[in-house]
Amino acid sequence: MKKWFSLGLVGLSSAYLAYGLRTLDILDFSGRPGAGYFPLIIGGLLLLATAVNAVLDFREARQGEMHPLQLDPATEGTAELMGVDAHGLDGGRRFPRDVLIILALLSGFIFLLPVLGALAAMIVLMLAYLFTFNQAELLTNVLYALALPAFLYWLFSIILNASLPVGPFGF
Amino acid sequence: MLTDIFANLAFGLSIAVTPTSLLFLVIGAFVGMIVGLFPGFGPAAGIAVLIPMTLGLEPTVAIIMLAGIYYGSMYGGTITSILINTPGESATVASTLDGYPLAQKGRAGPALVMQAIASFIGGTIGVVLITALAPLLAEFAASFGPSEYFLIITLGLLLLTTMMGDNRFKGLISALIGFAIGTVGVDVMSGQQRYTFGSPELIGGVYFVAVAIGLFGIGELLHCIYNGLHLRPAKKLRLSFKSREFWPTRFDYIESRFTFFRGSIIGFVAGVLPGSGATLGSIIGYSVEKKLARDPENFGKGEMRGLVAPETANNAASAGAMVPLLSLGIPGSGATAVLLGAFMMWGLQPGPLLIVNDPGFVWGLVASMYLGNMILVALSIFAIPLFVKFLDIPYRLVVPVIVLLCVIGAFAIHASIIETWILFMAGVLGFAMKLYGYSPAAIVLALVLGGMAEETFLQSLIISNGTLDVFIERPVSLALLCILIAVVVVPICLALWRARHRMSPSG
Repeated sequence: MKKWFSLGLVGLSSAYLAYGLRTLDILDFSGRPGAGYFPLIIGGLLLLATAVNAVLDFREARQGEMHPLQLDPATEGTAELMGVDAHGLDGGRRFPRDVLIILALLSGFIFLLPVLGALAAMIVLMLAYLFTFNQAELLTNVLYALALPAFLYWLFSIILNASLPVGPFGF
Repeated sequence: MLTDIFANLAFGLSIAVTPTSLLFLVIGAFVGMIVGLFPGFGPAAGIAVLIPMTLGLEPTVAIIMLAGIYYGSMYGGTITSILINTPGESATVASTLDGYPLAQKGRAGPALVMQAIASFIGGTIGVVLITALAPLLAEFAASFGPSEYFLIITLGLLLLTTMMGDNRFKGLISALIGFAIGTVGVDVMSGQQRYTFGSPELIGGVYFVAVAIGLFGIGELLHCIYNGLHLRPAKKLRLSFKSREFWPTRFDYIESRFTFFRGSIIGFVAGVLPGSGATLGSIIGYSVEKKLARDPENFGKGEMRGLVAPETANNAASAGAMVPLLSLGIPGSGATAVLLGAFMMWGLQPGPLLIVNDPGFVWGLVASMYLGNMILVALSIFAIPLFVKFLDIPYRLVVPVIVLLCVIGAFAIHASIIETWILFMAGVLGFAMKLYGYSPAAIVLALVLGGMAEETFLQSLIISNGTLDVFIERPVSLALLCILIAVVVVPICLALWRARHRMSPSG
């Protein structure tokens, strides 16, 4: 995935530079640097850096396929400085599926905020989250799903006087 | 000079010692300790997430509270390092090396008390050094023109990325991404819209709070979930300070007496240098102590000096990082970048003139750090049993608190749903960056300083009629440029030399 992320950055850098070149003036009417001058420099450097980075990451991925037990240099460097075993610093099992679930819940919550209002959307998110990751404790989940949003709503809306989204129920 | 230090501290105390300031200082320190307790939720995330909660406060009180979170997290982070071998944040990783073995030997109480005292000494020495150094640096920097400022910003970012070791190239890309995000909105010079895609919500630019909360809050959270922290059961621990075994022995104090000062100085210097910060400071503090010890073989097996050194260092470093922030307006880490953003949010103009224009704010903040350290040492010792109880809460129940605080906080500042989507995107980006070795701190730093970097760069060009001569004509600029080139060239030369050395048959 790392190499594809690097490649994605190359794509975004190209888009940033191309859009800047198309829409911004590099110099103003008096020949001084215009609105696009700085973005052009940043975009150029970004494209160059991300392109080199992508090449390095693709090369590293190929080497990783050839030497699967090799640790990354950063982990080895930290371990050397601290005088501990590098393999002890390297992680264990990963949970990408749970990350995707959290992202789905998070995007659903942001989508529901203006639709249901802050309080109701918070309760929905809490219930959805707790019944996914804390299934064993039914009563705790319901109480927690009501108490935390109520507290945060009171804190932001009443104490801090922040304007939170209002739903069809008036809160 | 000594009289100036005391006069400034006394002035600061007259501002910080008000019931409101003290109340929010205690809240900040308390919240900071809790932030430090939970792995993956560092001071930058803590400050960013809690910025919206300071909306109704006065600027000085708000920053005093946020600074309390900043250094309070250093105290809190060590509790989990010692008790469960899990550092609350990266600056307390080195504290696990001897802290956890001490707990395994049945000396958790003395270790916790010694870390609190070490943190207090490190933090206090750091505050005294800020009081001495910050005005001197600000006075020197007052003569800086745009070219010097541009070079200092570039140097700060380069140092931040250079300290990332093998990932320095990715750090550089992170900084460039931050600059790119910073160009969104209306160009101050020409009034032309840039990268707004016709959206009126983007005319004011991408607001740093949403990006910072996303990168540090959501990004860190996703990374913790990716590593399975939400599935780990809570550790049930009990500690009582009433038992005699809870307190350190006289030998612990005598043995560590020089370590307190060595660690503090090392940490402070590391903190002042942009990019190195508390994490590297604590690791260097530990390494130096181990090298100087007559019994280095005891380190890693429950040696008190091995805990005191990183603890003094990380707290002195968090104080040291305030020097460039207060005197130059240049933050050296993610947490201080978020603090700088908060300064700007309250209309303060960071830079060398901050000390002259807002002495009450600067010295009030510094004095509050001193008071904060006193509060934290008391909290760390007498409230340890209470903080240990927080560890009973499983991480899976902490996750929704963080998510709700992040989203509601990002929305509350401008009542903008676009900012919550920016938070979401920044969260995904922050997670990927942490996973693949990029630097979210460099993004925030570049985003906060981007406007200033562009303005000073263009002003420099205008002064020298479109040429780059201004960067070599002024002595300070030239010196900064030479340092900048050295920062770029020396690591490349060293890498080439190492590669050649490795390839040679004798090497």
